[in-house]
Amino acid sequence: MLSKITGFALNGLEGVPVDVETDINKGMVSYDLVGLPDTAVKESKERVRSAIKNSALYFPVNKITINLAPADLKKEGSHYDLPLAISILKAGDQLTAETDGIVFLGELALDGSLRPVAGILPILISAKAKGYVNFIVPAGNANEASYIEGTKVFAMQSLRDVIDLLNGERVFAPVEHRSFKAAQSAQKYNYDMSLVRGQKVAKRALEIAVAGGHNILLAGPPGTGKTLLARCIPTIMPDMTFEEALEVTKIHSVAGSLTEEGIVSMRPFRTPHHTATTVSLCGGGNVKIRPGEISMAHKGVLFLDELPEYTRHALESLRQPLEDRVITVTRAGGAITFPADFMLCASMNPCPCGNYGSAYLTCSCTPAQVHKYRSKISGPLLDRIDLQVEVDGIKYEDLAGESKEESSAQVKERVEKARAIQRERFRGESILVNANMGEKQIKKYCRLSAECEEILRNAFEALHLSARARSRIIKVARTVADLAFSEEIKPEHILEAASYRSYDSGSL
Amino acid sequence: MYTKEEINLIALCSFEELTYKQRFNLLSGLTRNEPDFVKYEEILIKTLGGGVYNKVKDKFFSQTYREKLISKLDGRGVKCVTYFSEAYPDTLKNIPCPPITLFCKGNINLLKQRCFAVVGSRKTPPNIIKECKNAANGLSRHFAVVTGMADGADAAAIEGALPSGKIISVLAYGFDHVYPALNENLLHKVESNGLLITEYTPQIPPLNYNFPVRNRIIAGLSEGVLIVSAGKKSGAKITAGYALEYNRRVFAFPYSVGAGSGEGCNELIREGATLARDTLDVLTDFGLNFNPPAEPELSEEEAEILKIIKDAGEAFAPHIAEKAGKPPFRIIPLLSSLEIKGMITRLGGNRFAALK
Repeated sequence: MLSKITGFALNGLEGVPVDVETDINKGMVSYDLVGLPDTAVKESKERVRSAIKNSALYFPVNKITINLAPADLKKEGSHYDLPLAISILKAGDQLTAETDGIVFLGELALDGSLRPVAGILPILISAKAKGYVNFIVPAGNANEASYIEGTKVFAMQSLRDVIDLLNGERVFAPVEHRSFKAAQSAQKYNYDMSLVRGQKVAKRALEIAVAGGHNILLAGPPGTGKTLLARCIPTIMPDMTFEEALEVTKIHSVAGSLTEEGIVSMRPFRTPHHTATTVSLCGGGNVKIRPGEISMAHKGVLFLDELPEYTRHALESLRQPLEDRVITVTRAGGAITFPADFMLCASMNPCPCGNYGSAYLTCSCTPAQVHKYRSKISGPLLDRIDLQVEVDGIKYEDLAGESKEESSAQVKERVEKARAIQRERFRGESILVNANMGEKQIKKYCRLSAECEEILRNAFEALHLSARARSRIIKVARTVADLAFSEEIKPEHILEAASYRSYDSGSL
Repeated sequence: MYTKEEINLIALCSFEELTYKQRFNLLSGLTRNEPDFVKYEEILIKTLGGGVYNKVKDKFFSQTYREKLISKLDGRGVKCVTYFSEAYPDTLKNIPCPPITLFCKGNINLLKQRCFAVVGSRKTPPNIIKECKNAANGLSRHFAVVTGMADGADAAAIEGALPSGKIISVLAYGFDHVYPALNENLLHKVESNGLLITEYTPQIPPLNYNFPVRNRIIAGLSEGVLIVSAGKKSGAKITAGYALEYNRRVFAFPYSVGAGSGEGCNELIREGATLARDTLDVLTDFGLNFNPPAEPELSEEEAEILKIIKDAGEAFAPHIAEKAGKPPFRIIPLLSSLEIKGMITRLGGNRFAALK
């Protein structure tokens, strides 16, 4: 007897249908699995054998040949257990129910229960696009699957349940479709702008950065609240739309890091340690290519604490994704493109000892040391960081007083208004925010009056700015103007933008 | 072309075996007599001692050695001004330990101008860096500015005086070396627009004990010295010490009590150095006129912010905003504008200080 069951393989974020074909013949007892299975798939043979036996079913003692087609695609992961088991049962005539058009996904435990697997959401999305409607997935993946409209997904506890469902012996309800509510998720952030005492300049800079999608560098002595400020960034970012959430969830699903909720509704905030390698940041892997930190931070924030401590190689690898907002990882197994549209927030000390420019402590570094420390961040990378802000080096006593701080919700409101202006402006363009403007768009949308040009020229001389700072200042000035609901860029907008370039070359 | 006497002195400086004392003794012996070594073997033996004399005598009397030495220096674009040269500054002749030969790169005419030294420590706060630059710029209208090549105050003085080209940088090492490496660009700028001088032959590396020795040339060359910053133990204080010894005017910027980078300056003022707030103070002391650059026009708001900063000495941006009763995003453009107009400067950590 021959059977054919549909499973799915995952190629990057893309699902590819895989036919699980089983043929049971008379002959020497054997159990062969072909079609480029990796170790986890090969091992599934034993799990399937036990699971079938422990589900009060019979594992055929014949010559069993299983083929995973297409044969040239590498099959990885444990989610082939269920289609394998169903395929064997069907080929052995223990299951006669119709299985065409149903996609089976899931890992089996030895006792026959189904374990959740990674990558359900991207598979569902691709499968739905390819015309598949019916799915059987492990119960643990129910939440993740519930967000895809127009599908009929059964989330099952065990192999026995699946057989009963297919045979119609028991009635199971498909997973109920859930709609996405981003607003609720805002309550879940552990941080809030109102928790940050003082730091008014840095807060203002964060607001501008988020409003215009600019990358930001926070510089200041240790213990002044740089990390806390960075943690507040997601709380003032606009809520994720369903499409954004799905995109993010796909990546997190592939990485196997989804939580109980099943969908990523909060903007990701990733903080790779400074020992992170290039591969861990950008993504990679030997056979299965996994997304790196920059893709995990898609639509959210990538926070690099102590920026100069990262290896030069790792930092330079960020340049291209910062520009293109995607990363293509190429390995022997093929090339995969992951989205990487993140906001970069970096922090650093002003010098190796951390006291450079401090009002209270003396810096023990030589100018050469300071220069060396700062030059670890290359010009081209600094080029992509529109705002470079110093946090206030204020003493603890200055923070002890009662002062009313704005909450994240208030800031977020202004950010959303500025974003709306930008959406209107870039209608018909391929960009969404001011930070992504190219030279052409800067010319088109950021006309400067003669007065502004004059100020900008003076600023360059007086503040020792490098020539490439120009377009970044104009972009930031555009965002500042948007926050002030101003159609044109006024002198004060240029002046404010110019003040956020303190780490540009020559300012030392 | 060098005269025979000049070549003698250049050769004298090229013997690393000799100490300054021995060279200087030779120099004094030679000025009293006819300046030609060849005839004065006994003077040489007397001042150097037999051992050293035997070591260097072959080179001493070799004409080829001298020719090679001169052509080597010429090849590197080094001009030598010796104690016997016409270009040798009179101010230096009067000090107790004058450099025997000055190896120069750049415009040696500057040596005949009136000179004024501007020196300070490497760890000069950012606002004083700006003041130092302005002072050097103002002084360069009447003087050639003399300084070293270190980071901080020296570099600022160079930057201030470079536009006029009246800048003399005294190095503590030979021209084969660049120190600090960070200032390589600055060094080349001084070479092409101003003047680099050193008493060391090209191959001498930057040795720490040469720096204080070098400071006597800075002080000796100048009619006065402005100390912009100096810690308790600072090279700038050594320069000031030489200046007093040589009867030069010493000026120092005043600092607030307890400011680490200015303890030396305050100490100098206490010991009798003239307190100088800016270029004008220095120049009026010399009876020279100076038209300070026109004050830029300030808007009402800018003037208010400037007053707040001046009253506080230095202030954090949020404190300024609080005092002015304005939200920070109103203050930031004003601070930026004041900074561009050169009225205030950033000290780091969003701290601002007013400039004079």
